[in-house]
Amino acid sequence: MSNPASDAPAGERDVALACAILKQRFGERLQTGKSIREQHGHTLSWLPNQPPDAVIFANDSQDVADIVSVCAEHKCPVIAFGVGSSLEGHLNAPQGGVCIDMSQMNQVLEVQADDLSVRVQPGVTRKALNTYLRDTGLFFPIDPGADASLGGMAATRASGTNAVRYGTMKDNVLSLRAVMADGREINTASRAKKTSAGYDLTRLLVGSEGTLGIITELTVKLHGIPESIAGGVCHFPDVESACRATIQTIQYGIPIARIELLDVSQVIASNAYSKLGLKELPTMFVEFHGSDSATAEQSELFGEIVRDCGGSDFEWTKDEAARNKLWQARHDAYWAARQMRPEAEAVITDACVPISRLADCVEETRKDIEANNFLAPMVGHVGDGNFHTMVLIDMNSPKEVAAAKEFSERLSARAIAMGGTCTGEHGVGQGKTRYLRDELGDTVDFMAMIKQAFDPDNILNPGKIF
Amino acid sequence: MVAGASSNDASELLQQQVLDSIARSRPLNIVGGNSKAFLGAVADGDALQTSNHRGVISYEPTELVITARAGTPLSEIEKLLAEHRQSLPFEPPRHSPDATIGGAVASALSGPARPFAGAVRDYVLGCRVINGQGQQLSFGGQVMKNVAGYDVTRLMTGARGTLGVLLDVSIKVLPVPEQQITLESTIELPAALATMQKMKGSNYPVTAACYHEGKLSFRFAGSEAGLAAAIADLGGDKTRDTSFWDELRDQQLAFFNTDQLWRLAVPSGTPALDIAGEWLYDWAGEQRWLKTTASADSIRETVARHGGYAQLYRAPESLQASAGVEHPLPDKIMQLHSSIKQSFDPHSIFNPGRLFPGL
Ligand SMILES: Cc1cc2nc3c(=O)[nH]c(=O)nc-3n(C[C@H](O)[C@H](O)[C@H](O)COP(=O)(O)OP(=O)(O)OC[C@H]3O[C@@H](n4cnc5c(N)ncnc54)[C@H](O)[C@@H]3O)c2cc1C
Repeated sequence: MSNPASDAPAGERDVALACAILKQRFGERLQTGKSIREQHGHTLSWLPNQPPDAVIFANDSQDVADIVSVCAEHKCPVIAFGVGSSLEGHLNAPQGGVCIDMSQMNQVLEVQADDLSVRVQPGVTRKALNTYLRDTGLFFPIDPGADASLGGMAATRASGTNAVRYGTMKDNVLSLRAVMADGREINTASRAKKTSAGYDLTRLLVGSEGTLGIITELTVKLHGIPESIAGGVCHFPDVESACRATIQTIQYGIPIARIELLDVSQVIASNAYSKLGLKELPTMFVEFHGSDSATAEQSELFGEIVRDCGGSDFEWTKDEAARNKLWQARHDAYWAARQMRPEAEAVITDACVPISRLADCVEETRKDIEANNFLAPMVGHVGDGNFHTMVLIDMNSPKEVAAAKEFSERLSARAIAMGGTCTGEHGVGQGKTRYLRDELGDTVDFMAMIKQAFDPDNILNPGKIF
Repeated sequence: MVAGASSNDASELLQQQVLDSIARSRPLNIVGGNSKAFLGAVADGDALQTSNHRGVISYEPTELVITARAGTPLSEIEKLLAEHRQSLPFEPPRHSPDATIGGAVASALSGPARPFAGAVRDYVLGCRVINGQGQQLSFGGQVMKNVAGYDVTRLMTGARGTLGVLLDVSIKVLPVPEQQITLESTIELPAALATMQKMKGSNYPVTAACYHEGKLSFRFAGSEAGLAAAIADLGGDKTRDTSFWDELRDQQLAFFNTDQLWRLAVPSGTPALDIAGEWLYDWAGEQRWLKTTASADSIRETVARHGGYAQLYRAPESLQASAGVEHPLPDKIMQLHSSIKQSFDPHSIFNPGRLFPGL
């Protein structure tokens, strides 16, 4: 089947010339050392490294526009780089080209407290933003495990443990400035953010993985820090009962802020890495946000649901230190898992299914893991029907690599068959391109047409998504 | 799965009509319940009726997701949801009893809850469409999170039918609050705007805020006991009657009885604007309805100065033609619109000019 976006006019690309012109313009800010290029072409993916030809550190949107203009003229690939925490080879440079490192564009530009929004440069990380907001009574809720950049998070439509209450990047980006493939910068929405006339360019760019434009500024929603936060832990005899408790909680309309599942293998990993001392049973971490009385009421109600579903030991606390320890451990789940087999790489899956199918999907996946004898801890954003397995494999063993690939394929097919998706939050990058057609069919060709309309020479992050 | 009252799959028929139109190069006006015929310029073309393509395809109350054919009346969907104490959180206006879910998504209009609960775009999870090549395509899905490729679902939302025919939509729904209370007080405009602004940033569970005819109204979700602090803070009369909000949502208040109406969207914190006329302030002041004889240019100029924009929501045809419905877009943005339109609808079959002239 023809796929316009991947038929790159590679013959016409002149990467060397583009780099030479950019070197004159950027001097020392353009780097071509091997290690710096490899750092920017690989990051946390288990896919093989494909470094760019040069890395440029941009200081402002004019730099980005200048780089893209030069690259457009010479059909040179351009790849934006946030902090490099993406997991599907999003940053690989299969056709070489220029990587724009956005880390120097790290200014918080304007807190609009009245409007519960903030304008930031794309290199600001989620933790840096929340540190900046410390004294305002406001916070930014999207929290992928890594301390990712806001630009990277928008580009991957990221979510995190708070998504069940606060949504994902698609719900929290109000408007964007972005440099398009011809080097021109656009603003996707006016200051009146509640409505916009015309097509939703903001949401088209959110999740486009750097293939439609390079984000140079974001306005994102903020939320008031809740008066009270209560959090806790509980155990379940099996994953099925934990899923049942989740469904009941949501159906009762309890506005739970976080509800995260760890399977036994992950509990063992996190106990060792984060010194938690949890019982070795399927475990749920939860959190409630609201007024003092509301969080107390919600915690009690949730406790009843846990008991009804056969769970045990639900204890909740408002103590900040205890809560922080718990959530830091949740965010460190990936590192904890890798610690179980330090020499191995982690192949991470990202299935998302309707919650009524979550227990089935997890159970079948569990059996698959056992049948393959994998070491593969599992964590789930159960409130959204999304879960990850981290299959720890020896990259020097072709047998293990092949088995992990096949496992990951079966899991994607399983999720798609259950009415779900192969990627709930990590995105397509290079790693999931193969499954996209299984999931979307001809729709992929149609998306490729949009790509071609926006970027006819396929210079923006080529080889991704399609 | 809960089946709808009357159910009919007309997608093959609709697809055939689209293919015929492409073959004959005849534009199509996509019509649901035709409750928003006034919105945007309607071009010369054949009508494509979606109202026979109707019925709820699936509804899982435990999943908080409903999937329905585009021609399903909003009233039917809301009735079904209400039986399970759930609702469409964005409160789409029902300009007439015939309004369909497809029309609500295509026009992306949201009701009084908008600034607090979110917009249509925040709840649409997936859709199936017929594009301008006559192909049926599906985007998104029924799960809460999906990052498999471009977010085309949200591009379709609010495109006013210019990109394709919506066949089915999947929408996230939410439980209805157990109790709702409205507080009303008589107050001057500047104080009302300031109070609405303050309440929006408060910890209180506000679900709507409107200023109309000297009266400031707030709607809250929660019990009287739970709202004691808000009630003490704001004062005013309390009522459980929600009819004011329904009338506001559906434009049934006397104020809306007019054939010339402007809708202004302004940034939060915008003061009263210096345009003579009658005003109604919804969305905590961010959406303003205006009846005026002032010229379109002067209105658009004033609103733009405050970072907002003005839409000619209802107007006699002559004014609609001379003033245009929407604020014109910057050139580069318009170019991107054209390339999107070209990808979806290369033969310019769907609703030409309904959103912007020439699109
Ligand atoms: C331990 C761990 C836990 C994680 N947990 C989660 C999780 O819970 N939820 C989740 O959603 N993800 C999670 N991730 C994945 C990752 O953190 C997210 O995908 C994140 O959004 C990537 O941001 P980044 O700044 O690292 O982007 P990068 O990896 O640098 O880039 C990602 C993609 O975005 C593009 N991009 C970056 N900046 C821009 C820009 N300014 N303009 C246009 N395109 C740009 C890049 O070209 C690339 O395609 C996790 C990753 C790790 C390592």
